[in-house]
Amino acid sequence: MKSPAAPVTRPGAPLTRFIIRVVAWLPVMFALWYLAAPVLMWPVALIVRALADATLHDLVTGVDQVMATLTFATTLRPGHALARGQVEVEVNLLLYSFGMPLLAALTIAARERTWKRKLFLGYLLMLPFIAWGALADFLKNIAITASPTVTAQAGFSSMQREAIAFAFQFGALILPPVVPAVLWVVMHRGFLERLRERI
Amino acid sequence: MIRFFATFVLLLASLFAVELTPFAQRLFVMPWTDALAQLSTGLITLFDPHVVASGKVIRSTQNGFAVAIEAGCNGVEATLVLLAAMLAFPAPWWSKIKGIAAGVVAVQGLNVVRVISLFYIGQWNREAFEWAHLYVWQALIMLDVLVVWLLWVRMLPPDDRDATPPLPPPRAAIASA
Repeated sequence: MKSPAAPVTRPGAPLTRFIIRVVAWLPVMFALWYLAAPVLMWPVALIVRALADATLHDLVTGVDQVMATLTFATTLRPGHALARGQVEVEVNLLLYSFGMPLLAALTIAARERTWKRKLFLGYLLMLPFIAWGALADFLKNIAITASPTVTAQAGFSSMQREAIAFAFQFGALILPPVVPAVLWVVMHRGFLERLRERI
Repeated sequence: MIRFFATFVLLLASLFAVELTPFAQRLFVMPWTDALAQLSTGLITLFDPHVVASGKVIRSTQNGFAVAIEAGCNGVEATLVLLAAMLAFPAPWWSKIKGIAAGVVAVQGLNVVRVISLFYIGQWNREAFEWAHLYVWQALIMLDVLVVWLLWVRMLPPDDRDATPPLPPPRAAIASA
């Protein structure tokens, strides 16, 4: 039953206002994300480096971060056995982290008192998924899209290449946009309940 | 809530895996992408006659600029996300069917806007095209999916909305209880 003192709200207005706030914050958040990417992506580089050391030490000799790009130094040779040099693979972390400005815009637009904490928590939770995208991109490069000489040296079985292809596609097409949306829904259940009642 | 998210993730991964199979690509994704290119070109020619579509490619006959609609740009993945979210949410099947039908139109409608806008942004500035293509439109399409899902949840009959696990009471309520 509606309280007589309940404020009269126009149908759809709260959601409309929320969407307008999100769209207004998005360009600002995109600019901040781009400018701060070298710092924001630093923990991703740490995670990727740790994972590469633990699981790909026979293939990866180093992972360096320059701005928002990771460079994987490998033990693989670019051409025939006598060829000089090693294969290096560059991965653009922006491709896997564009959900950060979306999460930030959604979180700020929700106007919760704890928005800073939620934003930080959301950022931390996104890091492993960005690392997934970066590692899968690297593996896709050396296992599938590199020259046959390089893919042969990498030594992945056809089943492993299928798994890498799926991990790459999932990490590139699904995770970057979906993870921020899911995290936002999980962290804003109270806001969603209020929105649902007043929408 | 946990069951909803677990079902959502499982459904999404399964639908995506099916989408990647050669069978689904040949029978659904490629024809869909070609149809999207045709539809976008049809709409563009309402105000710009110097555009043709060939398969998944939209080309300007004036300056030769062309865009190819690739995976991730055909709106299929965004539609799968919405599909998984609606199927995973506890609701009557009829509500799900109506929601999915309306949602597909909303997501694909915005995706047509994305394709057309990218076609012109690309002719204007290559860097702006990369930004819009790789980052901005991806976020906007997901925002579209989220908004459609929120609207759909709101429109569910009360019983089904109440079927979701109750939210924990706010701290103030606990303190005053």
